[in-house]
Amino acid sequence: VGILELGAHVVQTHGAVDTADWHAARDYVASQAKPDDLVTFAPRWVDPVGREQLGPALATLEREARPDETRFPRAFEVSIRGEHDPLLEGWRQSAEQRFGRVTVTTLENPSPVHVLDDLVSLVNGQRMQASRVDGDRVSDCTFTHAGTQSGGLGAGPALPADRFVCAAGGFVAATVAADLDYRPRRCIYAPPPGGHSFVRLRFLGVRLGTSIHGHHGLYVEAERNKTGSPVTITFRVGDAVVGSVVHHDGDGWKPFEFDTRALAASASKNDQGVPQVDLVADIESANGERRMYCFEADTR
Amino acid sequence: VKLRALVRLPSRIGWRDHVIGASLALAYFVWLLATARSLGFPRDEGMYFHAATDYVGWWRSLLDHAQDALKQSAIDGAFTDNHEHPVLMKTLFGVSWWILHEKWGLVKDASTAFRIPAMLVAGIGLWTTYLFGARAWSRRAGLVAAVLLGLMPAVFFHAHLACFDVPIMTMWILCVYVHWRAQETRSLGWALAVGVVFGLALETKHSAWFLPAVLVPHALFIQRREILRALRVGRVSIPASVVSMFVVGPIVFLALWPYLWNDTLARVQWWFEFHLNHEYYNIEYLGRNYFGPPSPKSYVPVMVLATVPTVTIVLFGIGAVERAANGARRLAHWGKRVLRIDGGTAWTNWWSDFVSGASSDRRETDLLLLLSLAAALSPWLRAKTPIFGGTKHWLTAYPALALFAGRGFDLVTAAMGRALPRLDPRRWLAAEAGLFASVVAAPLVVTVHSHPYGIAAYVPLVGGTAGGATLGLNRQFWGYTSQNAAEEYLNEQAPRGASVFIHDTTWDAWARMQQEGRVRKDLRATGAPNDGQIALVEHELHMNEVDYSIWTAFGSVTPVYVVLHDGVPMVSIYRRP
Repeated sequence: VGILELGAHVVQTHGAVDTADWHAARDYVASQAKPDDLVTFAPRWVDPVGREQLGPALATLEREARPDETRFPRAFEVSIRGEHDPLLEGWRQSAEQRFGRVTVTTLENPSPVHVLDDLVSLVNGQRMQASRVDGDRVSDCTFTHAGTQSGGLGAGPALPADRFVCAAGGFVAATVAADLDYRPRRCIYAPPPGGHSFVRLRFLGVRLGTSIHGHHGLYVEAERNKTGSPVTITFRVGDAVVGSVVHHDGDGWKPFEFDTRALAASASKNDQGVPQVDLVADIESANGERRMYCFEADTR
Repeated sequence: VKLRALVRLPSRIGWRDHVIGASLALAYFVWLLATARSLGFPRDEGMYFHAATDYVGWWRSLLDHAQDALKQSAIDGAFTDNHEHPVLMKTLFGVSWWILHEKWGLVKDASTAFRIPAMLVAGIGLWTTYLFGARAWSRRAGLVAAVLLGLMPAVFFHAHLACFDVPIMTMWILCVYVHWRAQETRSLGWALAVGVVFGLALETKHSAWFLPAVLVPHALFIQRREILRALRVGRVSIPASVVSMFVVGPIVFLALWPYLWNDTLARVQWWFEFHLNHEYYNIEYLGRNYFGPPSPKSYVPVMVLATVPTVTIVLFGIGAVERAANGARRLAHWGKRVLRIDGGTAWTNWWSDFVSGASSDRRETDLLLLLSLAAALSPWLRAKTPIFGGTKHWLTAYPALALFAGRGFDLVTAAMGRALPRLDPRRWLAAEAGLFASVVAAPLVVTVHSHPYGIAAYVPLVGGTAGGATLGLNRQFWGYTSQNAAEEYLNEQAPRGASVFIHDTTWDAWARMQQEGRVRKDLRATGAPNDGQIALVEHELHMNEVDYSIWTAFGSVTPVYVVLHDGVPMVSIYRRP
């Protein structure tokens, strides 16, 4: 047993991946991947090395902190040690290339969707308005550029330099939050103030398709104790409610989907003939205590 | 001839065995000392450095101005710092620092001077284990047990630190050993020693609360006949070692902890309540972050299998099964006597054969080691017990585990003797040496390789460090790897005067690393990623949120450098674009 253990140790400790293998994999992925494709790493713990070695052009924030995999027609899984990303189970393998100890597997999404507008990408002064509604009083939140705000463990998601600042208190911004499984989620940070007050976001000129697809959750340390008030997000177009969904602590990164076909049929069309609306999202909770809420949605 | 007589080991365990034990201790201490500088400072250690300085300051003031020093304000001023833990080791850390570093300048790094007492105590743990094994079974068993105990990556890692986990491991086995000797000799001296050592164990760490669960049942079982005999004549007979433990132990404990000299009951009560209601910290296990009850029931067995070298576990299994079989034979023998079973039928003949091999041990060593294992491990099987410290909380179980492994090695050697009956003495010696090497080689290589990432190190059975990461087992805690980030990147690559977000590392630890030249002195620590030109993330599952904050603060997901151990990320280093 001792000799076997020694032998296994020698084999295991000489299994580290050469930088040259990573770079060869990077060059291959760079030559193949399109902007819509997913680039992911397996096992999960090798992600920091993957980001370092493949660089920011391939390991982008949008790919790393993706809401889910449904929007990607194709994935390049860069893996070591024969591991695979379990989230890509069911995808059809179309190619596999080995670069020393790094394997790049190309996988095709069996049911890809076409995203029309990603609401997280609309968080700016031109395409989104934010306000805080306290009873009858509506106070606008101003889109500003300031220093980023971030902290260590327990501080919550960092606030980026570009953010909406509400006069009555609070922020709205596109950030990256750790979900209940500590996965990164690029999302719209919009903590509800609680009570009769709520946050209203108006996305301008959103193209509509068959559905609004999204996820919502709270920063992990705000929801993991399951002691907070539920948070409700309601999507509206004009007076029509598109859909409403409640997030309870412990739900984690919870998906939702609303049918928008009827709404799209009656909406005005843009120059390309695509239905386009101003989409409103109201976010509310009975109690605002540590409601570090974040959501993402797209139209598809 | 005289020299040969001096070196030759008589069958009786004596001073020569202390020389062997001390040599093992010294070798381990030297190894720890030689590797200490490559290990950064965990959060807790920084606090103990601080407390140690306060405590030794008070002892010095006691020597200089005793009357003033004995005032409650002076005592509380010095000992309130870190008063959730008793003071024996922190006082020794402080004394070592004061004498070896401050006064005599013998040890260049203050941190090493603080750590020396813990390293020495780790050596004493091996010494005690050797003696225990040698007296219980054989010198061979004792030697293998001591060596295998020292060659556990978790023990080796924690043995470096000015903390209490390896010291309590030593105090635990020392207390068990002294108690065992007290039962064997029935002398007053050994009985008093039980009380003293138990007091010192209490003064080392609260894990010692569980020692009575080992010593009392064992003493009562050994002395059951005397106790029953006394009861029959209307007297109560309590083993002297037990009396000593409950009388001398608390006296030693209270005498050494000045903070308890005032408001004693309230402060002792607070100490108990603090640990009985300890808050939960985060720790990853099988890919899930645990931060509160219930703790997973599989945690102890899985982590033991994943962190203790497999050959040690196998030898433990061989030794433990053999001892358990002997215990079963003794039990059967007792049953035969009570039930008056005689031969005649096939079944009773089998029973007679079975019990015939039973050997008795008036010291009840097997029972004692079993109790020691059980008492050290069982608190961590409870769903309410926090598991944030990983394996370090049950290091107290490992000397008993190693002793059974030593017994296992004895049995394997005996089996080799039966398989190779015709070997001449020289070849037999070579065969024994080869067997020893085959058992020790893997633990030695694995332990050497684990440094300084001892908490991230998992044994080949689960795939090593990478296998542990794939299983979702904890990689580190308490932010000690910023030193590795400095060694591999910051000291060479960081701009002059750069601000560095030091993540989980404490300010004190960072400052000390700079004082000792481990981290460049011009680098400025910051507490928020947005204040840093450079940011560190020490990888633990629950620390992912800090990673993501850096992405937002720096506008980049790309680290400029990743500190690796066997290809597994330990620290990611970001640089503001």
